[in-house]
Amino acid sequence: MATLTECNLLPELLVAPRPAAWEPVRKAAETALEGQELPTTKHEDWKYTDLKSLRETHFVPGQYRKVDIKERILPEARGTRLVFVNGHFDPPCSNISALPSGVRMLRLASASEAAGALGSLATPEGSDVFTNLNTARFTDGAYIFVPKNIHVEPVLHVLFVSDQEGAQPTCSLPRLLVVLERGATLNLVEEYWGHGCTLTNSVTEVLVREGAELVHERIQRESPEAFHFSSLRARLDRDARYISRTISLGARFSRQAPHIVLADEGTELTLDGLALLGENQLADTHSFIDHTKPHGTSRQLHKAIVDGKARAVFNGRIFVRPGAQQTDAQQQSRNLLLSEEAQVDTKPELEIFADDVKCAHGAAVGQLDPEELFYLQSRGLNLSTAQNLLTYGFAADLLARIPVASLRRQLRQAVMARTNAQDLASMA
Amino acid sequence: MNSSLQQVTSQEYKYGFVTDIESDSAPPGLSEDTIRFISAKKGEPDWLLAFRLKAYRHWLTMKEPAWANVHYEKPDFQKIVYYSAPKQKTPKYQSMAEVDPELIRTFEKLGVPLNEQKALAGVAVDVVFDSVSVTTTYKEKLSEVGIIFGSFSDAVREHPELVKKYLGSVVPFSDNFYAALNSAVFTDGSFCFIPKGVTCPMDLSTYFRINNKESGQFERTLIVAEEGASVNYLEGCTAPQFDTNQLHAAVVELVALDDASIKYSTVQNWYAGDKNGVGGIFNFVTKRGLCKGRNSKISWTQVETGSAITWKYPGCLLVGENSIGEFYSVALTNHQQQADTGTKMIHIGKNTKSTIISKGISAGNSSNSYRGLVKVMPKAEGARNFSQCDSMLIGAKCSANTFPYIEVQNKSAKVEHEATTSKIGEEQLFYFQQRGIPAEDAISMIINGFCKDVFRELPMEFAVEATKLLSLKLEGSVG
Repeated sequence: MATLTECNLLPELLVAPRPAAWEPVRKAAETALEGQELPTTKHEDWKYTDLKSLRETHFVPGQYRKVDIKERILPEARGTRLVFVNGHFDPPCSNISALPSGVRMLRLASASEAAGALGSLATPEGSDVFTNLNTARFTDGAYIFVPKNIHVEPVLHVLFVSDQEGAQPTCSLPRLLVVLERGATLNLVEEYWGHGCTLTNSVTEVLVREGAELVHERIQRESPEAFHFSSLRARLDRDARYISRTISLGARFSRQAPHIVLADEGTELTLDGLALLGENQLADTHSFIDHTKPHGTSRQLHKAIVDGKARAVFNGRIFVRPGAQQTDAQQQSRNLLLSEEAQVDTKPELEIFADDVKCAHGAAVGQLDPEELFYLQSRGLNLSTAQNLLTYGFAADLLARIPVASLRRQLRQAVMARTNAQDLASMA
Repeated sequence: MNSSLQQVTSQEYKYGFVTDIESDSAPPGLSEDTIRFISAKKGEPDWLLAFRLKAYRHWLTMKEPAWANVHYEKPDFQKIVYYSAPKQKTPKYQSMAEVDPELIRTFEKLGVPLNEQKALAGVAVDVVFDSVSVTTTYKEKLSEVGIIFGSFSDAVREHPELVKKYLGSVVPFSDNFYAALNSAVFTDGSFCFIPKGVTCPMDLSTYFRINNKESGQFERTLIVAEEGASVNYLEGCTAPQFDTNQLHAAVVELVALDDASIKYSTVQNWYAGDKNGVGGIFNFVTKRGLCKGRNSKISWTQVETGSAITWKYPGCLLVGENSIGEFYSVALTNHQQQADTGTKMIHIGKNTKSTIISKGISAGNSSNSYRGLVKVMPKAEGARNFSQCDSMLIGAKCSANTFPYIEVQNKSAKVEHEATTSKIGEEQLFYFQQRGIPAEDAISMIINGFCKDVFRELPMEFAVEATKLLSLKLEGSVG
């Protein structure tokens, strides 16, 4: 078993300057790391995901460099955008000119008020090695704060760019902290994008206070050589509503680990995921939905389209604590296998300690339905067009739920390109 | 907890009585000497002793598994008595009159139709009483059609070539911790061989019963169905009440060749410990069927209501083309019981199919987990699986968990899994009651409806027993 230092996961970053207010949580994470190792496939949580290639790559901390983000610009978020390159704040690309008054959107390093909330969800004692590595060594990130009863009109866009410079693979530790006060509402896009062989190990913490509502798109479009680890920790207070959608298109190796705590009564969670995989990509989603109080509702839909020699892993855990009566939890894992060598490992888990609940989960792995293909062919579409249309259709319902029009369009195009369905653009 | 639930809680184990028979036991403890003692005692051939020793040496290198969702005090393997046989008054019984009358009374209490007249009830019973097969009925009638059905020891003596060929072929001694232990120290069990083209004329059945205090029971069952053969096998269990935990680590191996079918049904009602979780059986069982031939079929049906800890995953290796694996299960836990049970369906051959229907009912402080694996290997073209796992919770202190593992490596495979969790609806109960049906009966009917998909897979007499068992165990749990 390899220790962290053997894997060269960035001891250099320890000496980088940071605000003094981060020290307690940073130190605690550093201490927690001492007892932690990079997991192997012998760990139940990493059974299907071998970190061998990560272990064999030597990464150096990524430096700031100028990047062109033109194609990533969302018209809905022209004046409400923060950009980070290799973990460093990028002032020329960022633009917060249209930020409504009272709403805070800035880099963490200059948000002194954020320190207390940092690591309050991704606690060092309750986190895995990747999350703790981020907490211990991250240098900057984004902070978003919406005050009481403010409905934020524009979409907020946080873009993390990973860009390899030179021959050496680079690494970054992006961090995002989102706090919605009572009754606030927000549409947020968190996007990861990059070039070259990079390692992105991000941690996002989300606090949705009483009656607040957050719609959170999480887009992963890293380069085909990249490694991407993303930990999402969220807490929902009373009557809070949280919609989180993760779309994974890039990275050779990615792992999404959302951990959502429904901390009070009457909360509502939607946790959707789509992974589009080809060649030798691996996408792993390990989610944990924790129902702790009565009258919580959760809906999870996870889809994977797997082509080439790719592998999709899903492990969705729903936990209903004692006393969380009237919980209504539903989970679906749907997987489409397109090639002989593609592979899917899925494991939806229910652990229920309350009797008056409605919980259901389902998992399905299959291929395109021959009857549906036949139907389309009988209408004059050739076989490959029919296949592409159905494959696109499999993903389309999740994409259709994205409220940000420009992003929805972008992703539809990306999915069409990947499913060879460009010629269908006119139909979509 | 309401009063009627408490009523159920205080219900004593119905089959808890101990028969006083002198045992011919090995001293407690496990070593190569113990194994040699067992082997010598049973007059086994050298190859079997070698098999045991190999398994024992491998077992020494293994760790007790900890991944299951159960919590218990690990058994002390040096305190277990690995061999105990009822003392025989003559070398071999010639007739029923010679059998220890104490023993016969036990069987009568258990309702085993031992003598000829009772056997006319239609079931041939190979009675395993504390590890040694005492008598076998209907053996002759079965041997007329070429079926070999008897104790494992007899099979080793009379058909060593068959035992040697199939022993460990489905569950190798290195399979897991408890299978290795069993392979080293198994004392007896059942052996069944259905030759080519024969449909077994009656349901075969075994009663297992753990009777000697401190004696772990390590049964070994091997069933082979040759080309075109078919058999129904029933296994029923009850055990007397004890305060120390008893370990039961059985191994069951089934082999089905071309066009053969084996149906294996179990009703398990071992002592589950008292309401505080003291005592009870540890049931760590490895059951696996090999669908070796084309169009072969293996079907597992189980009703698990007993044991303090259950750790059991009857599975099928679907190797033959078009072979079928089935798993139907009702697992009921109450008080402090813990069950981690499910199945493994490994699709290896083309067009293999599997069905999994699992119903879990938890009450009291119990924990009930379904853990299943559906694996489709790259060459399993056209594999198909359907799984349904439903859980029902009765009371706010129990838990129900579902851990289905799905691993698919072939794109033409179609795998579906569904699971739901619910409780008995107040509206359902109200409907029954306003029609004049008391709550007790209503619950019994709802539970039976919930388990119907499994019960109808059971042979008639088992279905009746299972229905009664569930009603008994859950009487008045909701109201």
